[in-house]
Amino acid sequence: MSLCQNRLQEERKQWRRDHPFGFVAKPKRAPQGGLDLKNWECAIPGKANTLWEGGLFKIDLIFPDEYPTKPPKCKFTPALFHPNVYPSGTVCLSILNEEEGWRPAITIKQLLLGIQDLLDDPNPESPAQAEAYNLFKKDRPQYERRVRMAVKENQPN
Amino acid sequence: MDSDDDFMSDVSSQDDFLGTQGSDDESLGEDFDDLDAGFSDDKDLIKHKKKPYEVEFKVLAPADIDHEQLGQVNEVCAILGLPPESAAILLRFGRWNKEKLIESYMEHPEQTLEEAGLGSNFEGTAKTECIPGFMCDICCEDGDDLETYAMRCGHRYCVGCYRHYLAQKIKEEGEASRIQCPGDRCNRIVDSKSLDLLVTKELQGRYRELLTRTYVDDNENLKWCPAPNCQYAIDCGVKQRDLRRIVPTVRCFCKNEFCFGCSLSDHQPAPCTLVKMWLQKCEDDSETANWISANTKECTKCNSTIEKNGGCNHMTCRKCKYEFCWMCMGLWSEHGTSWYNCNRYEEKSGADARSAQAKSRSSLERYLHYYNRYANHEQSAKLDKDLYLKTEKKMTSLQSQSGLSWIEVQFLDTASQALQQCRQTLKWTYAFAFYLARNNLTEIFEDNQKDLEMAVESLSEMFEKPVAELAGLKVDILDKTTYCNNRRVILLSVTAENLKNGEWTFNIDW
Repeated sequence: MSLCQNRLQEERKQWRRDHPFGFVAKPKRAPQGGLDLKNWECAIPGKANTLWEGGLFKIDLIFPDEYPTKPPKCKFTPALFHPNVYPSGTVCLSILNEEEGWRPAITIKQLLLGIQDLLDDPNPESPAQAEAYNLFKKDRPQYERRVRMAVKENQPN
Repeated sequence: MDSDDDFMSDVSSQDDFLGTQGSDDESLGEDFDDLDAGFSDDKDLIKHKKKPYEVEFKVLAPADIDHEQLGQVNEVCAILGLPPESAAILLRFGRWNKEKLIESYMEHPEQTLEEAGLGSNFEGTAKTECIPGFMCDICCEDGDDLETYAMRCGHRYCVGCYRHYLAQKIKEEGEASRIQCPGDRCNRIVDSKSLDLLVTKELQGRYRELLTRTYVDDNENLKWCPAPNCQYAIDCGVKQRDLRRIVPTVRCFCKNEFCFGCSLSDHQPAPCTLVKMWLQKCEDDSETANWISANTKECTKCNSTIEKNGGCNHMTCRKCKYEFCWMCMGLWSEHGTSWYNCNRYEEKSGADARSAQAKSRSSLERYLHYYNRYANHEQSAKLDKDLYLKTEKKMTSLQSQSGLSWIEVQFLDTASQALQQCRQTLKWTYAFAFYLARNNLTEIFEDNQKDLEMAVESLSEMFEKPVAELAGLKVDILDKTTYCNNRRVILLSVTAENLKNGEWTFNIDW
């Protein structure tokens, strides 16, 4: 089996054995039945005691054939109001960039935890959407209001 | 070597050639004497004396670069007592600034090593191991016979994954000096010893190549020759801050002459900053705007831009139907009965508009004066280059027609090279002059420019003569070639001298 498939299968095993509370991560169903290991549906809960508490944010992980040499693409569906999330929903984070912090040894668990950390701790050095970035920089109360709205829109069902 | 030697080597090759051929020796010998006398009486000294516009530099072949790199590594290795592969990482981290690096290491050894991605543990040798019960975190393979590797940071992966990771970094990303451990958030740099242990010979070669590249890129004194497929680098001590006073033209082994400051092709006598401004100006739409302001007027009512295309002064704006006089820009109906003959020319409002227009026009004309000459030399240099390509053919046919030997027709080659070089210089004298404020120095500069230009044009004319006449013109062409080179040296020397001493005044701040 290819490195990519092998590793993803193992990731799946590890995740089922143990994963952080409130998180979801599972491969999608393939159209022809069975699992599509290269396409995961995940969800990240907002951290307790932060603005994001109570929300559950759906995110898709799309793994390239070169995984784990190259990182997966992580995309919030629907797109999320956050300074480091592109209007398309794609997350901009150093550990997700193969030329920056991505390492083959980073697990899906670490990745999702990293994105959870990013929610309440945006990186103003690499803005990805104008709206959230500008409010974050210039109008904090309005920014926080919008975050609360996002939490309300992304409730666990 | 530097371009001084080069210029002289042209001369000496002619000397050689003259030595084999007695007849022309006299006239040319004298010429060279004159040339030398212009600089100093001592002929032996001149041969090696640097001209004011020349800079010291060295051309380095890839082997020289590797050798230099190795020398630096060994030195640091001996001073700090580190293994060579670690010393190399440390040096790359410090961008090859040895003094600063050693100082910072002496003050905070641990911190420096940590920042460089080394860590202070230098125990143990690099080797792969099989560890019972191990599972690779990357591919999730296990097995007691799985070969594994870990650097001193202890992050252990199977050799296959490590190899794959390194290949990806080197081949796909072109990374070499900053490949980090595959472990999450571990900033240990993969050293050359580990690398050699893990990857194929081919990748090792590529890795070294990339390291050499970063060595040159990181080093302030080094620059790659920008010519396509050229593998040499130039070592020159001219710093960025010196560029206001020096135009450091260097010449690579591949014969490419370029500026060490900005890597553009040779632009003496104009300094890098002015060259950049000039090129920007020539490229910019600002000149289009300039043309518009010189050739068009705006409708005073709706501000549409209007170009006058007929002889009559009675303008009717196509857009707003406003009627006005082109001369005074006043309302047409106020012209009374003196239709088609504006006698309100001296009125104040019109006069202001006109003087603004005149100013813009004269600044445009000034620019065009310099630009046309600049562009003309560029164009001519291109044509001369085409001619140069034909020279070889010319020389062959000259050999057959006149019975001269190959070595005897080399004067055409020399002449063609001189033409190229002089035109290149002339071209940039116009860009330079555009930014010069007018004073006595400018006049001298323009005289020198004129002398060189006239010499170049007459050489160019001779050069274009039919092959049949060329043999007869040989002495003239040789004379003219020497004269051109001579004038060029003088022009560049004077300009460089003044630049060094800050004597030029410019009409702009830069």
